[in-house]
Amino acid sequence: MEGTEVLEKKQQNSPGDDIRTTNYNILGKIFHGAGIYAVAALFLVAGIILQALGVINNFLTAQNMLNIVDAVSMLGIVAVGMAFVTYSGHYADMSVPTTMALTGIIAVQMLQYGFFPAIAAAVAAGLLIGLINAVAIGKFKANPIIWTLAVNYVTLGVIRLVWVNKQIYPDMIAKSQWASDVFDNIYRFRFFNKIGLPVVYMIILVILLNFIMKKTKFGQQLKITGAARKASEFSGVNVERVIGLSFVICALTATLGGLTVTSLSRVGAYYNGAGYDFKAVTAIVIGGMTLAGGRGSIIGVLGGVLIIGLMNNIMTLLGVGTFSQDMIRGIIFIVVVGINAKSLRTLGRDDA
Amino acid sequence: MLNKPNSKKSLLVAIDRNRIFILFTIVFLFMALFAPRFFNVFNLTTIMRTSAMNATVAIGFTVILIIGQLDLSIGTIITFTAIIGLGLKEYIGFGGSIPVAIIAGGLIGLINGLLVAKAKINSFIVTLGMMTALQGAIYTFTGGNSVSLSTPDAFAVSDWLALMIFPLVTPRVIITLVLIAASAIFMKRTRIGRNFYMVGGNRQTAWLAGIDTDKYTIAAFIMSGVTAGIGGVLFAMESAAATLNMGNSSLMYVISAAIIGGTAMSGGKGGIFKTFVAILMLDVLYNGIILFGLGNEVKIFIAGIILASVVLYEAYVSYKHEKVIGQRPELMKELEVQNQA
Repeated sequence: MEGTEVLEKKQQNSPGDDIRTTNYNILGKIFHGAGIYAVAALFLVAGIILQALGVINNFLTAQNMLNIVDAVSMLGIVAVGMAFVTYSGHYADMSVPTTMALTGIIAVQMLQYGFFPAIAAAVAAGLLIGLINAVAIGKFKANPIIWTLAVNYVTLGVIRLVWVNKQIYPDMIAKSQWASDVFDNIYRFRFFNKIGLPVVYMIILVILLNFIMKKTKFGQQLKITGAARKASEFSGVNVERVIGLSFVICALTATLGGLTVTSLSRVGAYYNGAGYDFKAVTAIVIGGMTLAGGRGSIIGVLGGVLIIGLMNNIMTLLGVGTFSQDMIRGIIFIVVVGINAKSLRTLGRDDA
Repeated sequence: MLNKPNSKKSLLVAIDRNRIFILFTIVFLFMALFAPRFFNVFNLTTIMRTSAMNATVAIGFTVILIIGQLDLSIGTIITFTAIIGLGLKEYIGFGGSIPVAIIAGGLIGLINGLLVAKAKINSFIVTLGMMTALQGAIYTFTGGNSVSLSTPDAFAVSDWLALMIFPLVTPRVIITLVLIAASAIFMKRTRIGRNFYMVGGNRQTAWLAGIDTDKYTIAAFIMSGVTAGIGGVLFAMESAAATLNMGNSSLMYVISAAIIGGTAMSGGKGGIFKTFVAILMLDVLYNGIILFGLGNEVKIFIAGIILASVVLYEAYVSYKHEKVIGQRPELMKELEVQNQA
């Protein structure tokens, strides 16, 4: 048998050798050390070189760096929440796009009663979707991808049944000018006329969620549940609750993302948030969180989000068309994840 | 088995195993009885024709699920191959462009398969990246315009494909049915076909039994690419046009059908014929909803509810099953007796 032969060969090595480190490649080393920020630095250096060569202009300016962060801030908000689902070993929450659309449209509809009722209603709707996912996936172990896809479809159906393909506008629904203005400023408010609110949400979420994931009891339980569900169950962790909570967190950040997107587009419609599911998965996985669960960090996911921003920015400055950008993004995605998975494997840290 | 299977339980198992046929019958009878203008030859032919594309695509997708992987790129493969099939017709005719398109589908599947089996990247990631890349490629190559043919010979082919030879049957439906029958028999009755189930059911065991699991994984992805290609090209030829989002809705449709038809996401379970019946059921349902005068939104809502209930039902069954795993009923009975005493 092939397997035993390899094993015997490995055992013939001198006992002091750690066989796991023999295949250490340079890329693996870099990934192991600096994580995804090595790749981010690579992109940054590439941008600087291109600017030095005169191929692109205005790359390394404060304004451009702010633009990069601003452009991916909403993706960041959604991705750091969904990262909890990935971390718990449940791939991704595909119901995020319509969660964003539903919470946005509900908020717009409720603006007629004032700003705070609108936000409360949106959060309640997001929470409801999160809880539905939590029960189905946490308790009954429904397949996460298929279940959340189905929830996505049901929610889309609800939006289109209730609002019958209508788009609703916050400034027309709101009774008071104040409510409409505040809703508008969910996205548009700028600190010092520079730093947008979405960036602030993203940074606060990263700090908060990173704390939850790394420092709290829930975070530790989530890690062991994601890495080895059975072991976690046997060691007395309430697995159902832990997994459920990760879906609730995801739905709540999606709610914030939905409110921001709706405020940006100034229209409540069923297509708000379309595409955010796959974009978020891309950011999470590029950020070094493996689909096997229990590995990676929120800081890494932020790195993944920033890489997507840098990549888009450089390609746009180079004059690459939107659709060619898609093509390149898809290929880079597979390559980065492939290298990451390979380096983890050679380090003996991943059996996938 | 020590305890005899009681007849009530085995009946329930039989119902569960054939639930898609029961579901199809119920939906069909309901529509036949209540939906206006449903039960006539032309409408039923329309249903067969609309189901043809997704039914073809679902063959490969079911094999992918059986082997325990996922292919998110089928939607874009449909569009990609359809555009190649129609776009190259001008230069090399249908005789050349169709094989090229189908081979292109197969090549995409091969790349997917190699990345999954040899580079060991999760299929969810590989096919997601492939989906993004192909989407970009489609728009880049076409410049954002849909491809349509308006030459007489293209229309002749298009008319021939939609010609009703028998009630319910057009040439395209025949091609689809032959493909389904052949691949269903292949999967259920040949050793190679059964091996796909074994790889999906337990990869380790399959490998120990001497099956080259990588080869089967790659083969499954190639099959998925080829059937998506055939589905896309034939649909484009019948409508003599390929739009840039024609495959977008197929992914959700085919996943729903495969799951409702009883194919498990975890692999090793399911069948091509059952997926086909599920596709027919969905099409009957959608057709009926439109005939009732209800809009697209009702269709989306009901499709979501059906998929959600099936997923929840399956999850609930295995949840119940897991609760009693390892319990021995005869010991439980003894315990009950002791408690009473």
